[in-house]
Amino acid sequence: MNEEEKLTRFEGEMLPLMNDAYNLARWLVQNEPDARDMVQEAYLRAFKFFGGVRGETGRAWLLRIVRNVCYDHLKKRKVYSSDAELENIPDYNSPESKLQAKSDVAAVRSALASLPEDFRTVLVLREMEELSYREISEITQVPIGTVMSRLARGRQQLADLLKKMREKDLV
Amino acid sequence: MTCDELHEHLDPFFDNELGLAEAQKIQQHLEQCPTCEAIYAGRLAVREALQKPEVRFTPAGDLRSQIQAELSKQVRPAPQRTWRLPAFEIPNWLLPSLAGAAAVLVLWFGFNIFPTANRSSNSLLATVTAQLVSDHMRSLLPDHLIDVVSTDQHTVKPWFAGKLSFSPPVYDLSDQGFKLIGGRLDYLGNQEIAAVVFQHRQHYINLFVWPKSESSQLPDTAFQKEGFNIYGWAANGLTMWAVTDAAPDTLKTFVDLQKQKQAGTE
Repeated sequence: MNEEEKLTRFEGEMLPLMNDAYNLARWLVQNEPDARDMVQEAYLRAFKFFGGVRGETGRAWLLRIVRNVCYDHLKKRKVYSSDAELENIPDYNSPESKLQAKSDVAAVRSALASLPEDFRTVLVLREMEELSYREISEITQVPIGTVMSRLARGRQQLADLLKKMREKDLV
Repeated sequence: MTCDELHEHLDPFFDNELGLAEAQKIQQHLEQCPTCEAIYAGRLAVREALQKPEVRFTPAGDLRSQIQAELSKQVRPAPQRTWRLPAFEIPNWLLPSLAGAAAVLVLWFGFNIFPTANRSSNSLLATVTAQLVSDHMRSLLPDHLIDVVSTDQHTVKPWFAGKLSFSPPVYDLSDQGFKLIGGRLDYLGNQEIAAVVFQHRQHYINLFVWPKSESSQLPDTAFQKEGFNIYGWAANGLTMWAVTDAAPDTLKTFVDLQKQKQAGTE
């Protein structure tokens, strides 16, 4: 397979997955410009390794690369601003977040965004991308048991948040 | 089953990752225990919230073309002057005629779609698929996708019956993940053709259908064009082309399901 054939095959197989890749990246790095960079970087990395043997579906493979690229990026970012994450946690009592949370979608988004990274990742992969436990375990590189417990805790936290928001009549 | 045991298995149960016997035990417990039932309701609320399509993020505009531009930089340009084959070299000026010859062969064997069309046109296949891709792209513009909105095959099929001289196969494949969402009249050249529209996750599949000419023998053909995946085949006197931005293996699954359905009832 020459390079151009490889590119054609790669684009045909991988570009249809771009929205999934972007959604995951956007939830991991939490802002648009970085998410775009991550997706682009992931595609370049994926292209380099495309064509080798892999034991998973193309989708799980690409999402694993996206997740790795995002984690590398987040690790770097944390060295410089270790409290960036703290600043990101929305305060549901502030007047501006009340405004923001007026729409259901914004409320759900800010609730999910406030969860710890590990929980957020498995929730995005399971509920939005509808991947199996095995695929999620391959992407996040933790055992299936860990996937399960992260899902359980993530869901519980999110359910509590949603309930709280409903009680305050934000949703 | 105790509540603690249930908590351990609740998520795999919720995600259909549990065996039937265990799942039944969980089900029984949930029916009897309001505390656990409330936790389960919380899981459902989370799923319902996260699966709203608007909660997802989609990239704005040109990300796709940006990626394509970056990718093409990774590929070294092809050798300039000649194409080198093991035994001999073909000069560049000969390539168009070779490509022409190859295309004529392909047409001869496979793609005699319009017997009345000009047979010397060696780009017929390219023209047909280019049109289908542009039909597909146009269908994705707001309000262009469907003329008859229905997830019921018994509504969509009769709708076509009043408008076309043939009857396209219309099967709902929701159970297999391909939801029938409607139908549309489209054009291929001057010919009116049927477009049956399916949704898979956030991808759309247009299944274009028109009568096969008597002499045509369309073999199964899969390829990519402008990043879209295309699959063509013929059955029951009809020519069918499916076009989508979903992945090739997804498209293949869709085509196989269509074939099974069509073979099963006709």
